[in-house]
Amino acid sequence: MPIRLGPLTIPWPGTGSRGDPYWESFLNRPVNDARNVAAEMIRRAPEGAINPIKADIHTPEITSSHIKELAYFVGAELVGIARVEPEQAGDGEALPFAIVCALPAQHDPRETPGVGGQVPTQNGLFATFVVAAYIRELGYRATAAADPNAERLAAAAGLGRLNADGRLVARKYGRRVHVAEVIRTDLPLAADGQAVPV
Amino acid sequence: MAATLEKLTETVTGNDGAPPSRTASRTEGTFAAAPNLGRSVHVVGPVENVDPNQGPHPKNSRGELGKALFNYYRNSTSKDPLSRVGAGTHSADRRNVVSEALNRAPKGDINPDRVPVPDPEAMTRHIKAVGHYFGADIIGVARAHPSMMFAGARYSDDGTTAEGASEPESPEELASKYPYLIIASTAWDYDKLQAHRHHVGDASYHMSQMYTNMIMKSLEGYIRELGYTALRGTANPQATALAAGLGELGRNGLVISEKYGARVHMPNTIMTDLPLVAGKPIDIGVSDFCNICRKCAVTCPTNSISFGDKVVFNGVEKYKINWKTCYGLRPFVTDHWGSCLTCVTVCPFTKPNVWWRSLAVKALHTTPFSARPLLVRALKAIDDRFWGVVRQKRVRWMGYDTGIKPGETACTVAGCTASHEHAGNTAATVSNIGFYAPLKENTNRFVKRDAV
Repeated sequence: MPIRLGPLTIPWPGTGSRGDPYWESFLNRPVNDARNVAAEMIRRAPEGAINPIKADIHTPEITSSHIKELAYFVGAELVGIARVEPEQAGDGEALPFAIVCALPAQHDPRETPGVGGQVPTQNGLFATFVVAAYIRELGYRATAAADPNAERLAAAAGLGRLNADGRLVARKYGRRVHVAEVIRTDLPLAADGQAVPV
Repeated sequence: MAATLEKLTETVTGNDGAPPSRTASRTEGTFAAAPNLGRSVHVVGPVENVDPNQGPHPKNSRGELGKALFNYYRNSTSKDPLSRVGAGTHSADRRNVVSEALNRAPKGDINPDRVPVPDPEAMTRHIKAVGHYFGADIIGVARAHPSMMFAGARYSDDGTTAEGASEPESPEELASKYPYLIIASTAWDYDKLQAHRHHVGDASYHMSQMYTNMIMKSLEGYIRELGYTALRGTANPQATALAAGLGELGRNGLVISEKYGARVHMPNTIMTDLPLVAGKPIDIGVSDFCNICRKCAVTCPTNSISFGDKVVFNGVEKYKINWKTCYGLRPFVTDHWGSCLTCVTVCPFTKPNVWWRSLAVKALHTTPFSARPLLVRALKAIDDRFWGVVRQKRVRWMGYDTGIKPGETACTVAGCTASHEHAGNTAATVSNIGFYAPLKENTNRFVKRDAV
């Protein structure tokens, strides 16, 4: 894995592609059966029920810090919360908050279709699944789903800024960052940025 | 070493009505020699393959361990929301647990376009690099041996069909058809593990276990994508980890790994016909350490860990724990914790993976056997002095605080406005140490310690 110091990239021995004849196909060989990919297993899993017994919760600021601590623990490197302008969900209830998680990605999963290329997606799905499930077990609504506005919400949540292509650029990881599924929830949270109309 | 022969109990032989086990004679042929599992475990006699359905959890789910355990396992929802997303048996809805989602996912097909493997060594390096890229902390490959396999007719030919699709294969047939076992795992978070006997320690264990599950599912899928078979749950994970050289078996009955100590969970193995090169068992001095140390046996709240020597059980010479008393504690403490983890936390090998730990392990590895007891005594004295006989560290995370006495609830978060009427008076914190119950002196009155 090469070491990156700002703009410098220093090759470093270790895990990765050096002398590995199979690494290229690991990243780029298209998947024969999608059921073999863990990301697809999580994506296709049914969403759990909301716990009918609502848990006591803290102030929005403290709840936000707890949710972020959990998200960091399950693998997200950047976590932010954005408030979304009232948008009507399926049954008419508003889900005012979006929790956005981002992970460093050596390769853009949109350009590497192989099993290895999908690793950031899979780690992102894992983190967002656990956080959304945690909120549902607390008794609040939460849905983790792929969002076409994910990068815009990430920028609004303060994870970075958008470049000219509309891609997220994070301070620590630059463009090598993967924005995971967006968790929409009605758990009372404190937003990091301003409200975003969606 | 004096080894006492213990009679086979119901752990291994199964119930009276169980079908006769398929232990064929292994005195000749490819598998005549016992597998090399390192210095901590020796296969000394004929091994009867254990039926995985006779393990603690399956036994409990059939109600064979009594009402208290059955209700704890099947009919209870944890009071702790983190445990409810960590273990399917304690969640309000099992679908909220990642592992459940992964385990229920249908298996994919094997890619008909098989990748040729001219050089198994390159493929082994690749599989290990892939495992680390998926996020595994340790990964190893072992040569399958029938004595390491589970019994039972749960195997299927290609890993895609359910049981009963074809004639079940014997461990010998499977081990020759699919000769390699792969095992990978992630280490539990060290700082959160310090809150053992607490929900935070449970979270450390559960999250790592779920992440490992995803890594193993990915590896399994990747092997199918390469065009080879991958079977899960056919072999004993601990034996596999020992043979693969991930660690040695300790007195606490856990694999003690080279880099992380006992804070690794061994998931179901992958059995495959992908050409690989098997690893060799390692020697990090666990055998010498466990001879002397006994920290886990002293601190185990249920006295489930033996103070004595290794025993021969089912043809395997090893330290044997009393799993029944270990497991039986759970329903009585379920309000405060799910998994005890004390034997993991107090183990001197369980330390942050830093230079002084590597140095100690390296020193153990290079010291000749005869001089090791001296070094072990020195290292144990250092461990007791600097880390304590039981590690008691106050851990604060996500509003949890191990400084609060179990059984009392107090909001420890500044500015909290949640209603805590049900909790009564606010509990007082006890200095800057963690508070873990039941303490050893309380349980000693109820649980008889085995003869030293």
